[in-house]
Amino acid sequence: MAACLELAGISKSFSAGAAAETRALADITLDVADGEFLAVVGPSGCGKSTLLQIAAALIAPSAGEVRFRGERVTAPPEGMVYLFQQYSKSLFAWRTVIDNVAFAVEHRPGMTRRAAREHSRRFLGMVGLSEFGERYPWQLSGGMQQRVAIARALAAEPRVLLMDEPFSAVDALTRLELHGLILELWTAQGFTAVLVTHDVDEAVFLADRVAVLSARPATVVRTLATGLPRPRDNLATREDPRFLALRHDLLSMLLKRPHG
Amino acid sequence: MAEAAARRWPERALGAGVILFALAAVEAAVRAKWVNPALIPAPTDVAARVAQIVGSGEVLAPLGTTLYLLFAAYFAASALAIATGLLMGRFPAFYNLLEPLVEVLRPLPKPALLPPLILFLGLGDAMKLTIIGLGVFFPVLINTVQGVRGVDRVLVDTGHTFRCGRAALLLRIVLPAAMPLILAGMRVALGLGLILVVIAEMLSGTGGIGYLIIDMQRSFRVQHMYAWIVILAVLGYALNFVFLKLEQRVIHWALARPD
Repeated sequence: MAACLELAGISKSFSAGAAAETRALADITLDVADGEFLAVVGPSGCGKSTLLQIAAALIAPSAGEVRFRGERVTAPPEGMVYLFQQYSKSLFAWRTVIDNVAFAVEHRPGMTRRAAREHSRRFLGMVGLSEFGERYPWQLSGGMQQRVAIARALAAEPRVLLMDEPFSAVDALTRLELHGLILELWTAQGFTAVLVTHDVDEAVFLADRVAVLSARPATVVRTLATGLPRPRDNLATREDPRFLALRHDLLSMLLKRPHG
Repeated sequence: MAEAAARRWPERALGAGVILFALAAVEAAVRAKWVNPALIPAPTDVAARVAQIVGSGEVLAPLGTTLYLLFAAYFAASALAIATGLLMGRFPAFYNLLEPLVEVLRPLPKPALLPPLILFLGLGDAMKLTIIGLGVFFPVLINTVQGVRGVDRVLVDTGHTFRCGRAALLLRIVLPAAMPLILAGMRVALGLGLILVVIAEMLSGTGGIGYLIIDMQRSFRVQHMYAWIVILAVLGYALNFVFLKLEQRVIHWALARPD
């Protein structure tokens, strides 16, 4: 399959005033195939989110380039959407749920507010929140708010969905539900997914391939294909010996323990 | 809400009782001739005077003058302050350019500018609108800048990832996100505007409630003077009340939000 998103030699340094620069990312190269589900795991503070923000052109790399469908990316391109970890900050408190989702498309040329709303209803339905369109985000639970954010991201009909630890701020059971939901949507919509997470189980459960980053300055230590069968099941997949072996390998890499 | 109000009402009634008691004490003091009625008329006489001024429609012209000056200056200055504040809050170049000037002008008590303004603009509406506008401009500007600078980066990045343009980012994300602070500034500015319209009218001597208060004092019509003060107090209360109701409609989402 052709690469949909290419990160070529990405480095990023932050200058903290007059003090020495801190290097966050060092020469990271990653290709994401069209329709693939890639997870990026790494120790906390390694710059995973920074890498994803560079991929989304929300911040510029110090060196290297991002290519989306073969073209160099310098501003957020059409067809790529970033899903934030802090859903409660990312949703607009002054807009109803349906108008939050409609925001995804209302800047398109010739799009009216009414048409944007009509378009959005379908996506709100996909995340099971049809009944909640007229509520405000802060009237919903955390898990429901993240569903609204997911509906809004998908309403833009992206080719690539970049997810920054989107499930880390919800409770454990809600997280499993959202895993199921995102896989369902990924299968139905056929977008390319890149997930940044520090949760190894989550990475193995969701992804086709997992890239492991080192501590700062982050480099790609290894990428490995999960090879687990789909559709994945919250109980069966997580008990599969292959799942457990992958989990073991990845955790030992991250915890820097010798293989047992 | 209703429950809390029900629990509060005995205290509220007590507060109203204090006002009534004070008025009754003044009334008694006047009737007993303990105070000079030329300086303090009986509250009932003042009330009767207010009723006469309002009932006869005499109130309309001065009220119209004062409200016209206040609203014209208030809305023009607020709009200008919000526009300037959006630019200063979003673009560091604008901020660095204007922030020192703002910091020099802001702490200056605005009535101090009346003498030079009268030199340049005379005693007419131009002077009054300018001084009220200056009083309104700074609190709205300061709060707008603070509100805009406080907008979370995640909100701005959300706008970027959905490819909304600069204008849409400013008007559909930054402006509504900053609106609670902008409105807080506008409420302070409304009070300042009312103070300044009264001072300007007193100085210019050409009409409005402020002018009447000082004119009645100079012509020893003390009952009338107090009656206009009462009317001004009611106006101030009513303006604040209407403002709070409108604010409730505009930023209900910020007032109802749990955090």
